Amino acid sequence: MIPVESESTSKEGTKIVYVSKENLFAYMKERKDEGYDILLMVTGIDYKDHLEVVYHLLSTANGNRLIVKTKTDGEVDSMVPLWAGANWHERETWDLVGIKFKGHPNLKRILLAEGWVGHPLRKDYPLDKKQYVNLKENGEDYVSYDPREGY
Amino acid sequence: MEDKVIEVNFGPQHPSTHGVLRIKVKLDGEIIMDAYPVIGYLHRNAEKLSEMGAYPKALIYIDRLDYVASLNNELGYVLSAEKLMDAQVPERAQWIRMMLVELNRIASHLVWLGTHGLDMGMLTPYFYCWRERERILRIFDEITGSRLLYNYFAIGGVYSDITPKAIDMIKEFLADFGSKLEEIQAIFAKNYIYVKRTRDVGKLSLEDALSYGVTGPLLRASGKKWDLRKNQPYLYYDQVNFDIPVRQEGDVYARFQVRIEEMRQSIKIAQQVLSKIPEGEYYNKKFSKPMLVRLKGTGDSYVPTESPKGEYGVYLIGDGSTIPYRVRIRSPSFANLSALPIMLKGYKIADLTATVSSLDPVFGEVDR
Repeated sequence: MIPVESESTSKEGTKIVYVSKENLFAYMKERKDEGYDILLMVTGIDYKDHLEVVYHLLSTANGNRLIVKTKTDGEVDSMVPLWAGANWHERETWDLVGIKFKGHPNLKRILLAEGWVGHPLRKDYPLDKKQYVNLKENGEDYVSYDPREGY
Repeated sequence: MEDKVIEVNFGPQHPSTHGVLRIKVKLDGEIIMDAYPVIGYLHRNAEKLSEMGAYPKALIYIDRLDYVASLNNELGYVLSAEKLMDAQVPERAQWIRMMLVELNRIASHLVWLGTHGLDMGMLTPYFYCWRERERILRIFDEITGSRLLYNYFAIGGVYSDITPKAIDMIKEFLADFGSKLEEIQAIFAKNYIYVKRTRDVGKLSLEDALSYGVTGPLLRASGKKWDLRKNQPYLYYDQVNFDIPVRQEGDVYARFQVRIEEMRQSIKIAQQVLSKIPEGEYYNKKFSKPMLVRLKGTGDSYVPTESPKGEYGVYLIGDGSTIPYRVRIRSPSFANLSALPIMLKGYKIADLTATVSSLDPVFGEVDR
């Protein structure tokens, strides 16, 4: 058994466990073997002094749900070897919150244009600075602050 | 000529992409070797926008996620928000919600069925599907005041009561939609070309479906009896009778069969709800309009609901203020679409449109 740091319950009654960053992958592998066959989503939260990654797990065999949280400074292990569906969710978390996933096969931006500056779901993201996207000759995106440069 | 693998762009603007989806397809002759979906063309960051106003204000962005099933989207948000604020909801409001959500499920499936037919080169069923959907939209217009984006479910109830005229309209619709559905189904199922083009196409095994987090009609078409309305009931789904359609094949035709059967079950549910709506308040007086923007929430909550596309829910984190600290939308189309490459590999390029449309992706929800 991999130790958990603390336990609590969410408002609708799902168990929440906090796991240290080092134990995360081993803990999740244990849960996968236990029968949690669906990884519903990966969420990144910016708490200003630290970042947090939240995993929602579901077992279709008995309907159990589990929320796994881990505190991080910006990098955690990727869950793609356990659940293939983690791929897009982790890319989205990197794109919007700026958390890196070690061992991810293709950690690129998914919703925003490649080359975008900053991660919008960070609390210190500058909302007043507009960015304009355009295409280079070779088909890649580039981003500029000048409105004449893109759309 | 020597054998060569070429890369072809499908979309982002193409008549059969259901929105702005771009797929980079690697082709060896006619066979798809690999596919790489590119998304994000409709990205508005609804999650960030929702973090910038009071709790009820997020509803207008939630409406615009899955824009063919807005009420199902609102339901997931208000249920989560109510849990966050420990709000009590009157029984009448819950039953009204349940009925409208089932009607919206039928409307969403009809949109899918019509456009699915278009993708396969069938123009006729499109008009029949739109005719029936129009009747549902008129019912929604009568109840909520708008046809597409309703903003009708409020935290603590619904914004207005249903009128006797609306109940008559619903009764009239439910009475003969079953026979209309039979006709529409026959246009597809008795068409030799349609069946040939969808049987054994775009197969998804159960292991892959679970690994990719695929839910909803796709999971049920791959052989898993999993429906949140039955397995983890919310609202009053435990008080009505209905079945969950399941198919084992996991191909496009199985998804078609599952969705058709789901519409039948929705009629069944709506008919039962109609006879069970109790008299009483339709919203909680504690959450009347001037109070709505002063609602405060603490802790985190995630109430999963079965939307027409799969498991939908909003993960809310409150920090004790009137503004949600973090809003995370679990959209089923996003997870379902991520499994697209394995459904396409090894099939012919002509099967691509059938497979893509069988996922029922709505890009307001994928890109958020």
